[in-house]
Amino acid sequence: MDSTLERAAKLLANARFPIFGGLYTDIKGAMAALSLAQKLGGVIDHAASEGISRAARIMRETGATPASFGEVRNRADTVVIIGDLARERDPELLNTLFPRGKTLPRPGDNKRELILVGTKKGKTPPGVRVTEIGGKTTLPELVALLGASVREGRFELGDAALRRKIETAGARLRDSAFAVFVYDPAELEEPVLHTILEAVRHLVKTTRAATLSLSAPGNGEGVNLCSTWTSGLPVRTSFAHEVPETSIWAYETERLLKTGEADALVWIDALEGDSATPPTKAFRGVPAVILSARPVRAGRDDVVIEVGAAAADHDAALYLPPIAGIGIVKARSKNKNKPTVGDVLNRINALIDAKGAA
Amino acid sequence: MLVKLKGGRIIDPAHNRDAVGDLYLENGRIVEKPDGREPDEVHDVSGKIVMAGAIDVHSHIAGTNVTLGRQLMPELPVLAAAEGQPILPSPAAWGAYATGIRYAEMGYTTVIEPAMIPTHAIEAHAEMASIPIIDVAGLVVLGNDDYTLNLLRSGNEKSDELKDYVAWTLSHSKALGLKVINAGGSEAFKFNARTFDLDEKVPEYGVTSRGIVEAMQKVVADLGVPHPPHVHCNNLGIAGNVDTAIATLEATQGRPVHFAHIQFYGYGKEGDKGFSSAAPRLMEAINKHENATVDVGQVLFGQTVTISGDILRQFDGRRSASPNKWTINQGDGNGTGLVPYNYKKKSFVNALQWAIGLEIFLLAEDPWRVLFSTDHPNGALFTRYPEIFHLLMDRDERARWVDSLPEASRQVSNLAGISRELTLSELAIITRAAPAKILGMTDRGHLAPGAIADVAVYTNQKNKTKMFSAADLVFKSGELVVRKGNVVEISWGRCYHVEPGFDSQIKRRVSAFYNRYYGADPSWFGVTEAISDHPDRFATIRCKS
Repeated sequence: MDSTLERAAKLLANARFPIFGGLYTDIKGAMAALSLAQKLGGVIDHAASEGISRAARIMRETGATPASFGEVRNRADTVVIIGDLARERDPELLNTLFPRGKTLPRPGDNKRELILVGTKKGKTPPGVRVTEIGGKTTLPELVALLGASVREGRFELGDAALRRKIETAGARLRDSAFAVFVYDPAELEEPVLHTILEAVRHLVKTTRAATLSLSAPGNGEGVNLCSTWTSGLPVRTSFAHEVPETSIWAYETERLLKTGEADALVWIDALEGDSATPPTKAFRGVPAVILSARPVRAGRDDVVIEVGAAAADHDAALYLPPIAGIGIVKARSKNKNKPTVGDVLNRINALIDAKGAA
Repeated sequence: MLVKLKGGRIIDPAHNRDAVGDLYLENGRIVEKPDGREPDEVHDVSGKIVMAGAIDVHSHIAGTNVTLGRQLMPELPVLAAAEGQPILPSPAAWGAYATGIRYAEMGYTTVIEPAMIPTHAIEAHAEMASIPIIDVAGLVVLGNDDYTLNLLRSGNEKSDELKDYVAWTLSHSKALGLKVINAGGSEAFKFNARTFDLDEKVPEYGVTSRGIVEAMQKVVADLGVPHPPHVHCNNLGIAGNVDTAIATLEATQGRPVHFAHIQFYGYGKEGDKGFSSAAPRLMEAINKHENATVDVGQVLFGQTVTISGDILRQFDGRRSASPNKWTINQGDGNGTGLVPYNYKKKSFVNALQWAIGLEIFLLAEDPWRVLFSTDHPNGALFTRYPEIFHLLMDRDERARWVDSLPEASRQVSNLAGISRELTLSELAIITRAAPAKILGMTDRGHLAPGAIADVAVYTNQKNKTKMFSAADLVFKSGELVVRKGNVVEISWGRCYHVEPGFDSQIKRRVSAFYNRYYGADPSWFGVTEAISDHPDRFATIRCKS
């Protein structure tokens, strides 16, 4: 183990612009990665950062109106599901949002309703009225039409049946005591996300409304929060200069590897369940340190370090959607023989310090 | 190692001491002068001012709400620095690490995060554990959560369950005390209320805001938690809200209470503009109610971002966002509102807010009950505290600021007529001794043997901004961490909390509640020692009962 860590430390100490990617890890792993990236002047990114980065940029530009899972399942009278990805990612989503039995006190006296926009109906909760808004119209158009309808604005639409549905949905949203738009930001382009946010902002002038953005896989939200409290910025941030800098485009893992801007990769894939496969094609030629909880194919010059899977082999702090925040998940069976990502990166960090001192 | 600070002017108001003398530190504590032993290290501090490390009783430094603020306003330090505020122009400058560094450089050694969300205590503690040097503690927020409200449902005032629930929450989140933010107001917001007063009833639950605060006061007193309930009243920021503040004060019926950022409640509605200073009336009431302490929440002009669990107030405040962006986070319990704000000297209202805060400090008969804060970052960034010390200690400096205010604000403020200047001892009370006392942290805020060796040494100078911006020396738990205003050693502080006892039945009940309504298990947000890799991270403050 020690010689493997020595090799990893040497590889990283010699790197000019390393990227810490994957980052499927717990909070302590993320903290250790951030610490090392700051020391080495590298970049941090996450394998599921596409949606996170978009949401983060919109937050910086104009803000956000999130609701917690708990608030939505207990108090929303209208739930609007936008796109397919939210339910693909979480097949239990509708059961979670429409629990059977008693909920906490809910505003208004509307019966709960579900509006599906640009997504197949699939299985819906029994006893909940469902409106489908779809057909051949594209998802961005549907969202734009719904946004216009919420504002009682004029819009051109030849399909009379669809028009009726959209107008009815707009009226229902205005009449709702608490309407919530649910989506996965990885599926929606930024203009669509802006349209949803503006619809919410229109509604809250008179009633309540919010968004529920599905959290990214691989503890993406947790890693992103950790990045924010550490550096002030989300993932896809570079520490190459005195002041950290974020860019959705410039500091994305694959681009940095393909262009050769990054000269070393640290890839972390160490969670139970979700897996982030290293971008082998892209990083061919770029030396890598791979921390993985599962067997991995690697190049001859790569350093592979087997680590425990967070929440399987060791307790882990992870983003947990039901509490809309970071919580602790106990290990299924503790395996002390496998080091954590945090342990490994902190030891590499110390070895680099020792080399610097020598 | 025995350290001697030789010949400094020791200012220790907890022991009525303001005299030149020596101070000895050993094994992390202040010690008596040892007989027959030479110190291992001597710092000649003759001509310097020696105080205990400062304690911030109310500063938003960690947790979900603060990090949402960072997500909304990464450019805050850049905008603030461009205006000349003392902060590095980097998004990282209000990250966890920089927070500890800057506090230490100013001589602060303990900071209280006043709004830890119970279900998000893990994040708050993980963030606090990333802040170097200073000791920390969190106050946990209850009073708008459905579990509490259900127990207080009108006609349901029974048993000791609320007491057990509060005790369990304090223990589970490793909190030092209890915070109540616009009691019932956030829950009312969920039913689309846009205002919420002391005697309004929470929809569906029927309990009033007054009822919630009273119940929490009783419970905290019964549990013997040293820090009384830390209350953020209704109607923050609204003209005429001095009536709410005074009514809330009177409702406390002599039981201990702490009111947060009271400046934001010092507003009358006199004059052409319907907004006036009610500081004299407010202070008359505070001076009279000896059971109450307050922190001020002083405002300074410039860019900041407001971060608050008073979602109802923040929702209303969104209209004055500058830059024009805002976040309303409708979370469990209180939720959060984040609104960037730029206090303008030329604004009648902002100028008056600034003056009202200073009036409150200067009209306080008992500095032990009127503590320093800016409600960082809501009134001003904590990096600007020295500017406020300067204003409080130097009436000429005040006059210079007052002269630059709009005529209309000057006319309705009482500030120009106040000649009081706080002494160094009084400053040490409002930034050291009094916070320690009301937090129940008896081992600090003073310099008697046995106290923790948190010590700040300053060069006395007329320009108090300069004086307090950079301490000459700072010792944290006896270790020299700052020299000439710069951190020379990174240490890691401790986190203080209470462990009141409770009937273990409550765990089963809370578990069933979270399971049913949230599909969640409370064990997920229980804070354990494992949150930090530093040994002895947590320390318990004893409850009185």
